[in-house]
Amino acid sequence: MNRIVFCLFTTVLVALVSLGLVLAAGDPIKVGVVLPLTGEQAKFGEIEKNSFVMGVEEINKSGGINGRPIDLMMEDDTGKPDVGRSAIEKLISQDKVIVVTGGYSSSVTYAVSAAAQQRKIPFLVTTGSADKITEQGWDYVFRIGPPVSEYPKALNSFLAEVVKPKTVAILHENTLFGQSGSKEFAQQCESTGIKVLMKEGYEAGAVDFKPLLIKVKAAKPDFVYMISYIMDAALLMRQSKELNFNPKLFVGGGAGFTLPEFASNAGDAAEYVFSADLWSPTLPYTGAKEYFDNYLKRFNTPTEYHGAQAYSSIYVVADALKRAKELTPEGVREALTATDMMTVFGPVKFVSYEKKKQQNSLPTYLVQWQKGVLETVWPKNVATKPYVFPVSEWSQR
Amino acid sequence: MEVFLQTLVAGILKGGLYALIGLGMTLIMGVMGIINLAHGQLMMVAMYVTFVLFHYLGIDPYTSLLISMPSLFLLGVLIQKYLLNPLMKVESILPENQVLMTVGIGMVLTEIARFIFTSNYLSVKTSYSSAAIFVGGISFSVALTIAFIFACTLTGILFWFLIKTDLGRSIRAVSQDGEAAQLMGINAERIKVVTMGIGSALVAAAGTLLLPIYYLFPDIGGPFTRRAFVITILGGLGSTVGAIFGGLTLGLAEAFSSTYMGMEFEDMIGLVIFVLVLLFLPGGLKSLTKV
Repeated sequence: MNRIVFCLFTTVLVALVSLGLVLAAGDPIKVGVVLPLTGEQAKFGEIEKNSFVMGVEEINKSGGINGRPIDLMMEDDTGKPDVGRSAIEKLISQDKVIVVTGGYSSSVTYAVSAAAQQRKIPFLVTTGSADKITEQGWDYVFRIGPPVSEYPKALNSFLAEVVKPKTVAILHENTLFGQSGSKEFAQQCESTGIKVLMKEGYEAGAVDFKPLLIKVKAAKPDFVYMISYIMDAALLMRQSKELNFNPKLFVGGGAGFTLPEFASNAGDAAEYVFSADLWSPTLPYTGAKEYFDNYLKRFNTPTEYHGAQAYSSIYVVADALKRAKELTPEGVREALTATDMMTVFGPVKFVSYEKKKQQNSLPTYLVQWQKGVLETVWPKNVATKPYVFPVSEWSQR
Repeated sequence: MEVFLQTLVAGILKGGLYALIGLGMTLIMGVMGIINLAHGQLMMVAMYVTFVLFHYLGIDPYTSLLISMPSLFLLGVLIQKYLLNPLMKVESILPENQVLMTVGIGMVLTEIARFIFTSNYLSVKTSYSSAAIFVGGISFSVALTIAFIFACTLTGILFWFLIKTDLGRSIRAVSQDGEAAQLMGINAERIKVVTMGIGSALVAAAGTLLLPIYYLFPDIGGPFTRRAFVITILGGLGSTVGAIFGGLTLGLAEAFSSTYMGMEFEDMIGLVIFVLVLLFLPGGLKSLTKV
């Protein structure tokens, strides 16, 4: 009896395994991925995980790496640096991966990068955006997304050419992300002659932002820059409307301001709000639109720049694996340094500039909510709609 | 001056809602002698009820008060009758351990909500969600003002009920001295069940009134349980008048600290008041007014 069960079990197992390999035969190549799959950042981890899975399936379907399929080894970092560190240690020691990608929050990515450098395993950072990650001179760490200090690049040129503001008020949530982002932006403003009237933090999850907004309103800034998560962003806008607070423009620093949940929760108060953004499906990159549509069809929810970063990361890794002279960490690292390809996230080429090493350099964009749709408005050559500026007062809409 | 007045208005309007949250808790505290640490979670349940009614049936949040309050009354009654009262009968368990039971109930409610609705953020958007009336340059949020009026009305009804009706008098009697009330022929167990129901219905009203201006997710209960706790201590345990002043004080303190100190201190200020009251006025505002 036991033998029959055993035989059956092995048959099923073999059948299942061969089903997975039927599209690309040969030994699979293991690629490690570190992502927050549980915990507070799980929502972002989910978008990236789905995109990684989508990318790998497409690569394997079209022949894999010279006939060998990619096998994704996902590890959960739970959003904590120490867990992230042990996750990559496990991937290297137990699973024997030769290349690792992923990395969402900056603090986790920093810890994982240090471990990758120490163990001499190439690590392609997907999102983790703190500037210092690529400023350590680490030659095993590559980054596909721009550093956080470059997020408002398009905004700055828009301000200089169109708005020409003199004063700004910066509001940020009281976390490392909010604090560092607001500090960088304040410095950029001061250097371009925009006076920072106030830089105020708040505790995420507050019921009533009105006392804070009253103070900002009384200071009469030309524009307001906010770094917030989704629901705080929605409340800030709704209550600004309630107070009839009319600066020349409201600008979000990415994060909560580009998600569809922001518009659905803020309602008409989201109208004409600007935000920094890294990607949109309408950019003239081959496959961007298809990726967006396929994602929407398969997971029933729109994707955004985090997903595009993940989807492109796996293509960059696959490209490096194909070109690698030998399938060792050193071989893959050398192949990665020679990367020069087009992805849905934009052109990828790892260059060194200023203090940064092996950093992909990409333009960023300015988007604006117009009639509930997120439209790219700056720079002009990629704009999907002309920007709406000056914005009329709340009472006249 | 405009900044000052606007802050004052924001504080008072928010304080009205806080008072409603605190009233339910202090009522339960008075009669049962325990702090109900599932208070915010009951509010969360009421908010989900309101959300479902609005989203699937298109019922306006203010109309749904008529449904959310009775259903939470029922939930409170069931919790008291089948979960808390039986604990009193087991001699090896101290009555104070009911408090631990409420913590457990709060967790179960949160996880059930997460199971059904997932952790996603939900909100109810009505035509008046971000509307405002301007009186001399000062903005009054329509939804918050309506919530404030409802809160005052409900408080008025509660006082009439406690002072004028037989049941209300019984509740006050049990609150003042449970054993003596029992000797006078009051069924204390039944009174406790009813009180828990009323307390839950009051916090349900607060939740329903808050939803149009705020948002909703399963873990929303915790911060409001904490606020209710601070209000109850501030007003004096079991004092209904105290809870109203406690709510207003907390609302004003939060508003003024956000404006004049910085919004990152908002949460801290409530807890600082909490500690100061415990140190210098252990009986709360009740010990000053004797109500």
